[in-house]
This record gives sequence, C-alpha cells and structure tokens, in this order.
Amino acid sequence: MTDQTTDQNKTVLVIGGGVGGIKAAMDLSEASQNVLLIDKAAAIGGLMTQLDRTFPTNNCDLCTISPRLSAGSRQQHIELLPLTQLTGLSGEAGNFTITMTSAPRYIDLEKCTACGECHKKYPECVRFNPGLDHRAPTCMRYPQATPQAFSIDMAACKDVDGLVKVCPANAILRDDTEKQHTRTVSSVILATGAELFDPGKLDHLGHGRYPNVVTGLEYERIMSASGPTLGQLVRPSDGKQPTRVAWIQCAGSRGINREDVSYCSSVCCMYALKEAIVTKERFQDDIETTIFYMDMRTFGKDYEAYYQRAKDQYGVRMVRCRPHSIIPDQPGDDLAISYATDAGAGLTTEKFDMVVLSTGFRPTAAATQLAATLGIELNPHHFAKTQSFQPVTTNKPGIYVCGVFESPKDIPETMVQASAAACMASKHLPRTNGATESDDLPPERDVTGEEPRIGVFVCDCGQNIGGAIDVQSVVAEAAKYPNVVLSEMSGHGCGKEALERIQQMVVEKNLNRVVIGACSPRTHEELFQQTIRQAGLNKYLVAVANIRDQNAWVHAGAPELATAKAKKQIRMAVFGVAESGPLKEYLLPMNKEILVLGGGVAGMNSALELADRGFKVFLAERNGRLGGLTALVRRNLEGDDVQAFLTQLVDRTNAHENIEVITNAIVVDHQGMPGKFTTGFQIGPRMYYRAIEHGATVMATGALARRPNQYLLDRHKAVMTQLDLDSLLEDQSAQVSEWQSLVMIQCVGSRTADNPNCSRICCQTAMKNALRLLDLNPDMRIFVLYRDMRTFGFSEDAYIEARRRGVIFVRYESETPPQAEAAGAQVAVRFTDPILGRPVEVTADRLVLSTGLMADDETTEDLAAIFHLNRTEDGYFLEEHVKLKPVDMSVPGFFVAGTAHSPRTIRDSITQAQAVAARVQALLARNTINLGATVARVDATKCATCLACVRACPYQVPFINEDRSSEIDPAKCHGCGICAAECPAKAIQLSRFEDEPILAQLEGLLERIA
Amino acid sequence: MQTFEPVIVAFCCHYCAYTAADMAGSMRLSYPANVKIVRVPCSGKVDTIHMMKALEKGADGVLVAGCLDGDCHFKNGNTKAVRRVALVQETLKELGIEPERLSMVTMSAGMGTRFAQIATDFTEEIRKLGPNPVCAGIEAKAAAGAVAKAN
Repeated sequence: MTDQTTDQNKTVLVIGGGVGGIKAAMDLSEASQNVLLIDKAAAIGGLMTQLDRTFPTNNCDLCTISPRLSAGSRQQHIELLPLTQLTGLSGEAGNFTITMTSAPRYIDLEKCTACGECHKKYPECVRFNPGLDHRAPTCMRYPQATPQAFSIDMAACKDVDGLVKVCPANAILRDDTEKQHTRTVSSVILATGAELFDPGKLDHLGHGRYPNVVTGLEYERIMSASGPTLGQLVRPSDGKQPTRVAWIQCAGSRGINREDVSYCSSVCCMYALKEAIVTKERFQDDIETTIFYMDMRTFGKDYEAYYQRAKDQYGVRMVRCRPHSIIPDQPGDDLAISYATDAGAGLTTEKFDMVVLSTGFRPTAAATQLAATLGIELNPHHFAKTQSFQPVTTNKPGIYVCGVFESPKDIPETMVQASAAACMASKHLPRTNGATESDDLPPERDVTGEEPRIGVFVCDCGQNIGGAIDVQSVVAEAAKYPNVVLSEMSGHGCGKEALERIQQMVVEKNLNRVVIGACSPRTHEELFQQTIRQAGLNKYLVAVANIRDQNAWVHAGAPELATAKAKKQIRMAVFGVAESGPLKEYLLPMNKEILVLGGGVAGMNSALELADRGFKVFLAERNGRLGGLTALVRRNLEGDDVQAFLTQLVDRTNAHENIEVITNAIVVDHQGMPGKFTTGFQIGPRMYYRAIEHGATVMATGALARRPNQYLLDRHKAVMTQLDLDSLLEDQSAQVSEWQSLVMIQCVGSRTADNPNCSRICCQTAMKNALRLLDLNPDMRIFVLYRDMRTFGFSEDAYIEARRRGVIFVRYESETPPQAEAAGAQVAVRFTDPILGRPVEVTADRLVLSTGLMADDETTEDLAAIFHLNRTEDGYFLEEHVKLKPVDMSVPGFFVAGTAHSPRTIRDSITQAQAVAARVQALLARNTINLGATVARVDATKCATCLACVRACPYQVPFINEDRSSEIDPAKCHGCGICAAECPAKAIQLSRFEDEPILAQLEGLLERIA
Repeated sequence: MQTFEPVIVAFCCHYCAYTAADMAGSMRLSYPANVKIVRVPCSGKVDTIHMMKALEKGADGVLVAGCLDGDCHFKNGNTKAVRRVALVQETLKELGIEPERLSMVTMSAGMGTRFAQIATDFTEEIRKLGPNPVCAGIEAKAAAGAVAKAN
C-alpha cells in the first residue's frame, strides 16, 4: 500500500482547503503524489460547507462534500496543516523552499475525539458553529468538520484550569504556541478562494441596519439544516416565517459607484434562482419569491433550463430592474422596494418581509499579500493573472492557480480548474512507478472451514461511549454470545495501542472474526479493516457496531437503555460477522495507454499533457486533419492570434514521440473495462479495421458551429455569423472599415423552444467583434439586439468598453424577435425599443448573427451507443457528477473535455483538457485495477432468465449470456444490490451484503433468549 | 404489566439515512432506543425477505430509510424501495398484519433532525399498534410448548 517515497521535495503545496484545494489535493493523491495542504482556518471545507444546497441539482451540500472531506483526511498522500499560512518562498520550480506559520490550536489533534465536553462547559472559549456569521474564526464550522476536532480561543478563556480539566481525553494544550516550519516543495497550487462582498458598506441597501436584509450566504445559513436555526426558515428580526422574500442581484457588482466592482461574479444569478426554488419547494404558495435583476446570467451547462423551471414550474417572479434602495416600512420590520419596469410608467413600491442581497466575490487582502510574497502578478481586479492558453498557470513557473482566486466561478468550474492545476503541478514531480494493491502486507490466513472465533472489542472513547453505556457490562454480556472467544474493553479503540492489541489478540487467540463496538463505520471501518488485514485476516472479516454516534450520543440521558441497546447492537454484529466470509477484491493489470477521441484543442491538449508525462496516447480524429472547431476562429476576446497558437499545437502533437495520430478514424466497436479497453476503428479511405487497446478513454469530439436558416443567412450577402465576421476582420479589414452601420442579433437559434440552452460564448464573441469593428472604424454605428447580456466574469469589462465606445444595446423579448428583410445591398432590421416603447427600423450595411454552438448530435449519438455513454437532451455528453466529477463520465474510465461537454471558449476547453489529464493520471497511477468486493454475483444454476435484474439495474450491467443465464461484469457493477433484491429466484447475491449476514443480524437482534 | 417496548428494525442506506442517523448523534438529538439500524448500501437493496423475516422473527415495526427522491446515490434505488415496500404492505394486509408496521421514509444525509423525528414518531405509532401479532403467536406457541412439556 505504501509504495511512495516520502521525499519531501517531491511534494505539491496546496494553499487553501476549499473545494478547489481539496479536489486538487485528492487528484494528486489518487495519482500517488504527495501533497501538503494548508489552510488558515481550523478546518478545511471553505465556503461550500456553509451552503445549504447547490445548483443545479439542489443537492444537499454537506452530503455532497462531507464524504470528500473525510476521504481527504484519510488519504495517505495528503498531509493537512490547518491554521497555517505561507510566509515565504524561495528557489525555483521543482525545488522551492517555503516557510509557514501555524497558529496555536490549543488542542492535540491526536487526542481530541470531538466529544464536545469543552464546548458544553466553556462555550465562550471554544470555537464552534458560526451561526449566521460565516466569517467567524471557527473550528467545528460544520458537523462533519475535518479535522474532526475543536479549537480553543485562549484569549477568550478566563478559567483555563477548568477548561483543561473538563477534557476527558486530555487533549487541551494550554501552552500551545505559534510554530514556524520550513519545507521543500516542487510546485504550488493557489486555491485561496475569495471572500464575499460585505454589503454593509452600501448604506442604501441597509444591510447591518435592517435585520431582515440578509446576504445570499446568510440566507443559505438560515435554510441549512446545520445552520443557526436548524433549517427553520425564519427572519432574523422576530423569528417569524416570511411570506414575501425578494432577491436583489448584483449587490456591489457590475457597478461604478463607491464600493462597487465592475466585474460580474458569475454565480449570483444561479444561487439566487436556487435559493428561490428551494424556498418554493419547501413552502410553495406560503412564500412569494421575487428576483430583481439586470441580466439573468444562466450561461452554464443546462443552467438556462433551470432558469426556465424557476419561472414556469416554481412561479419565481422575475423583475428586470436594479432597485436603488431598500427602505424600512415602519412600523414593523418589513422593507419597501421601489422599482420601475418597461411595462409600467413610473415607480412601483412593494413591501417585502425579507430581502436577500446577492453579493459577489471579492479578492481577499490575504491573497493579495500572498501574491506579493510569491511574486504572482494580479489582474486589474486583483485576481491571479493567467494567459489565455495557459488558464491555470501564473507568471511564476511552478506556481498554479485554481478556483475563485483566478476569477469568479461556480463549483463545477472550480473543480475542473483544480484538476487542471493538479495536472500542471504534477509536471514538476517525477512520474511515480505506480502502486500495487497488497504491497508489504502479510499473506492472508485462509479461514474457510473454520468455526467462527470472534473477538469483541468495545471502546469507551473516553466518556463518549463510557459516559452513557456501561461498557464493562456490555463486554461481560458479549462474552456469552455464540462463537465469541474473547471480549474486552478497548479504551480509545482507534488509538495506536488499541489497534496493536487487536492485532496481537487476532494472532494469539487465533481469531478469525472481529467485532468492534465503536463509532460510525462510515469514518472508522477502513481503519479497522486495515488493522485486521495487517494481522493476516481478510479485511472483510470485521464488523463495526456503531455504539457511539447511533447510541451513546443519542441516549446520554438514559444509561440503562443505552447499555441494553449496545448489547443488542454488538449481538447483531456478532451474528452478522459470523455469517460473513472472506471476500476477494477484483484485481486486474492496468493498461496505461490512452485513447483520445477528437483532434481539436481539447483532445490535443489532453494528449500532450499525458504524453509529456510519459504515457502512450492514441489520438484518433474522424477528419483528415487536426484542429477541430478552433480552425475556424481567428482571434479570442483577449486579442490573441488563435491560428498561430493552433499551428504550434498541431505541430507539437504530430511531432510528439508518445502520440500516435490516427486521422480519418471512425469508431466501430468497443469492449472492456477501465484499464483494459479495446476499441475498434475503420481507418482511412480503404476503411481498414484496427483494434486499439487502452486503459482510459477521453471524449473530446467537439461540437458544431450552428448555422440556422434564419434572418436571410446564406440568402443575402450582407448577412453573416460572428465566425464569418471574425474571418473578414482579419482578411478584409479595408473593406470592413468602410461599413457605416451594422446590427448584431444575439441568441439566434439559442434559448428557443427547440434549443433551450444558452451557447455561453456568443455575448463575449459579439463584444470582441464589436470592439474590433470600432478599432477599424470608430464611427461605425453598431446595434446589438440582445435578450440578456451574459458577459460574465471579467468579460463584463468588454461590455462596459463597448457601451463607452458607443455601441447601442437594445433588448428584445423572445416572443417578439427582431425582423430582417433585404433592402438592396443592405438589410433592414426592425425591432421594438423597450425604453421608447415603439418599433424602430435600422437599415444596416451588415447583419451579424450570434449563432453559437450545437452538439454534434449524430456523432455523439453513435458514440454514446457504442460506449454506453449518457447524453444531455441537446446531445452533449453528460458528466458523472456536475459538481464532484465534472470531467469524469458515468462509465468508469471515460472522461470528457471541450465542446463535446458543452459550449465553451478555447481557454475553458484547455482547462478541461488539463483536468482530464489529471483524472487519467489518477486512474492509471495504480498497476492494478481494484474493482472492490461489493459486487453482485449470479448463481447460474438458480437463474431463470427472467430479466428482472436486467430491467432493475440502474447502470444496465446484467446481460443474458450464451448459457442463457444472467451475468454481471464485476468491472461494471456499482454494488447497489438492487438486482439482488429484485431477483425472484434469489440467484443474485451482493458480496458483503448477502442475505445470510443481514438475516443473521436480525436473528441477533430478535432471537429470544431463553 | 410493564409498558410495551416495541422492537424496531431500521434498514438504512449507507449514503443518506445511515449518515443522517450518525448526524442525529453528532447533534446529540435523542430518539427512542427501540430503533436498531441495519446498514445496507442502498434502500433498493432491502429485499422483501428482509422485511418479512424481520416481522416474522418478532420485530414490531420495520423502517426502510433511503435518500430523498432524486438524490439516490444509485440513481433510483429509493424509488424501487418505495414500490417494494408498498407491495409488502399489501401482503401484510392479506396476512392480517397491520401494514403500518412497515414504513418507507426518505431523508438527506444532513437531516439528523428528520431521522430523530421519524424514529420518535414511528416508535410511538408502533407502541399504539401494540405487539406484533406474529410475535404474540410465537410466544403463545412457546408457552403452549412449555405447558405441554410440563404436563
């Protein structure tokens, strides 16, 4: 298991333990690279742990991230230093020397069991739940905090002696001091995040003065089950449930006034919609929800559909207006908002009993300071500066950035950047030799045929268990249970001594099963499994009875009931484990070659990153040349020469010794599992067949530029798409500069009934081209007809610049789109001006349509069928999990990058490509494939071929084989056991959760003792 | 006669309900000790046999607890569990056992409060229903056997 060198100079430093930092650390650790993760807070988790739910799935956030965190804390390659800040860095990429300062925690992490005694007796000294104040310096910021330990605020503590005594684990260190460390690292990932704007600085919005004006994050805390009101939606002033809640967008963003920033924070539209939807889901018509906005910026994958659902399905009211101020409506704590819309003349005033300010991200002073320490350049908005085609690379070699410190972004994009940063940071480390399961472990003892010999170990966990349960009597009782040959107390069972004692007893007493009465198996089962495995037992021969979290903590006031229940729980575990057998984890040798499908920017970048790391890559392209969609683009928003970049990329790809480029290749068949795939192609004009064996597959098959039959496109010479204009601007600038007037229409073919999603790139593209037109001819009259300007993030700057330079923006509604007809060599465009409230006609020299991208439906449909991949309704490939695994696909071993995932810019495609390279490295780091042991097995002699399993499996794994029996490929089985429950012949059993141990547990609980 | 203390088996899915039960503990919420948890990977794994055997062996109530609708870790195991529980309830009716003794509930992993509330409410409901009639049968039989033996 521990195959890696612990050489410290082969470590990546990750600064910031939010989702981005955690993801980067976990990707590196999965690839067997060492990580030092530091965070200035007492627990990792960052901002995400403070959220109630996340869009677009409205999942509970803690559920989503807490397994990540505890998994993170378990990862053997990750060293976590909380309460720690970087103070200095010297040296160069591959060999940095860093200095850090750790603030005192006053708690020994090794000893603290998070029992909470200190917090109970001395709440003022112990940092715990932040309540509404998300900025409080806390430790147990949320119930599943990692590390699972408190921290002490010594300055606030008056009775230090009392506090030290109250801790049953002796974990309080009264003389803890600040510590300095010096280390050597190879590369650095900055994931320091940002803070949220404090709207108290804007007096007209009344935050901090009127109690019922809260920020979006405070509203999350109020809604959160782990928040100060335990999830009760009540307003702060009087604890009453509100009936009318309003959101005000862009509070402090997209403004030019005092305290405002000019950029867009990219996430607030979605989180306001989410908060409104969740409110509606919970309270339906009891609460009215209204969102005041300027442009609804739902530009992410499937986000537009979410916006439509908010309006149509949930009845969230949308008002397009930026209200100036919030005024108290006295008497009472209600609030009045005055606003104007296109429809009515003058101001309308409405009362709300709660107002939520959608505040955006601000760079932190600490991050700015850190950038100065490291010598990192920042952009004019004080976020980390990176290059267009190197999206996570800072100006300083060896230092990379991800997440909101790079630019405002949501969780999925942060996760993608984090993986990309992990990929880039790993360049400065040597490639690991690969890890093999079961290295340096003693051989497993064969226990088949033996009568069960069970050892029971019951923890008291300090007072945690012992405080409620009479552990002695449980131990004495357990000794009487069938097959139990040893029953003893184990103190802190997870401590080093106790674990060694268990191992010693396994050998000495020749135990072949172990039961631990302890805390939750969710957190500690793996530890106990490793423990008995090291003692020579199969790891599946241990059962953990959860007598802490599900007993002692629940029944603290009723020791007799708790003790009786603990006896039953141990009895259930004893009966269950007696029926459990040793299980084999499925191992296969790993094929470390990679197939990349699609030779566009995403495919080539993935291929190059992997090939540079020594992996052999097959790059298969359907067409005769590399380049993909990018071959059509001349300039990006930043003004770079895209073709120069592409030429270099293609040359490097073709020349790379580890890349085999196969053009004119069409996929025809596929089989296998991660680490062992075979894909068949028909290649070239002769269509000869070739099978390629590979361990991982990258889908980078791209999208198509849309060219709809609308607005005289391809029927009138003056009508073109933005891509056409891009080329003309480069090739025929003299001709272009003679144009006097030009109209752009946004959302042509997008955000419509038949194509409901937003193409994401068109608003930026229109700004880019408008500004280039004005560079050629500053007097050109340019009209942009739009529905919502979605120049998110820093591209808002281009929108501001376009307005400043005289571009006229006119909004239209989807019901009344602009009309165009030929007027000689010109085009007459008619539209309604919402401010004038009347129709306007412009005769323009050119009409430019923003047509966006569309999925390559035919290709993705074929590939989805061959590879069993999922697609969105509009034909893009679907990722495994929007938030947690944004570039993994639901079929293990498959990854997606670029516009095959969703419309995106070249820069975003490169980020995804690098992220995919990190994920592939993580998958291929091992020399073997461990398929786990929890898989369903079919007993062919019992199978009646009824197809119940085939229908029931959520992943379409079971199939009927040549022997007319159901067969389940362990490589594909996810281990849910649904098929086992559905099988009427009981021909299927799920390993680890077979009927026998489950029924035996029931027996253990229910068998009447004479 | 002492008050009736029902025995309740709760099949909890690993990803949501079992985590919620842990969470209830972390939050130090109290609920009746009558509820004993059996961990399963997914509520969709809870077989008809498991529910029936629990009742046959004398459990007074059985809970099947899964993830919220749409949040199942395995896509749709919880909806399969809902359907299966409804079917078993029908069977119970035919057997003359109150179908209320079996219940399907859903929650997210963060809902410790909900878990504790459900455990409390369900225990009360079963307490009102009284002992499982199957269990009464077993005891009567055992008693009869003892009497016969004594004779």
